[in-house]
Amino acid sequence: MKKIVFSLFILTLSLQVSAALPPGLIKLDGRDAPALKLKSMDEENYDLKQSKGRWVFVHFWAAWCGPCRREMPKIQALYSKFDQQTLEIILINTAESDDTVFGFLGAVAPDIDPLMDRDGLVTEVWQPRGLPATFFVDPSGKLQYLALGGRDWTKAEYMQFLNNLVKQK
Amino acid sequence: MNTILRFALLLGIFFSLPTIAEEKKKLTYEDKDLYVRVFLRSPEQITAFYQGREFKQQAVDQITDTCNVTVIIKNKTLDVLWLELDNWQFSQNQQPIHRYKRDYWAKQWDEIQLKQAHRSTFGWTLMPEVRDLRTDEGVGGSLYIPKQSGKFSLTLNFNTGSNKQGKKRSVNFNHLFCRKNTDVESE
Repeated sequence: MKKIVFSLFILTLSLQVSAALPPGLIKLDGRDAPALKLKSMDEENYDLKQSKGRWVFVHFWAAWCGPCRREMPKIQALYSKFDQQTLEIILINTAESDDTVFGFLGAVAPDIDPLMDRDGLVTEVWQPRGLPATFFVDPSGKLQYLALGGRDWTKAEYMQFLNNLVKQK
Repeated sequence: MNTILRFALLLGIFFSLPTIAEEKKKLTYEDKDLYVRVFLRSPEQITAFYQGREFKQQAVDQITDTCNVTVIIKNKTLDVLWLELDNWQFSQNQQPIHRYKRDYWAKQWDEIQLKQAHRSTFGWTLMPEVRDLRTDEGVGGSLYIPKQSGKFSLTLNFNTGSNKQGKKRSVNFNHLFCRKNTDVESE
């Protein structure tokens, strides 16, 4: 009985999240997320597999892209708001040098150690619909949502979406 | 002397402002369904962008040997708007102008052994060949054609609807030109 009640609770939360997606977010088909193994700018190894059990915000960007630059302070704000064990925020820079990335992020999002897709091939595999783009990977490693382009993530409608999301396991 | 220079500068700005506004108007289309903005980039602007990203000079030269037309589109319909570059047409005096597609650039980069990171960056600056633009989705990117001496046109044709069976849309920009370094900027 407890299991049924719990399942209904999770189902209700899922419906709440997907029923009213905020502008620019689309539901994906829940296929497995592509492999994602990169080094960060601080030379730390990262593998998406290690993030199973929590939602992951996988964000592709480049410093030359205007909307990416405008969005980044809002992502830094999210990074401060969410426990990384609940919603892990991963930035993937597409094919730029350390100097370029540090020159921009150092001032705008100093707390985040970005992953460096140095040759751009991981981005090619993930195929975001342009830059910037954010995929939401669920705790079991499936692609659930895609945010097209940049936005103010701290707006109420996006915060509500994110808060509902992290309630789902 | 300083006063004369300042006056000349102010005069220059004063007379160039209407030109900039006029050009922006000519290079923008907007209705309830669609927003399109065209930018014409000069070789100097292109060079600054790619040199700033440490592209080798041969690559910069190859890019600036062509004519850049950058387009931004936003789908304001409640349906899918299809970006399909093969349905777009550059022309001059009713004669089609071919566009340098991705395979052309790939061949150029093979020849000069451009490093993968720079191929990737260049690729992301190009307009996607095909995209089913969702409601409120925008897309932008560069198109390249051979340098033209006179004015040319660009006709953008769009299918709509998820199955492409919706209303067809067409937007035309005349009086486009390959911007030279000496031309007044549109922004």
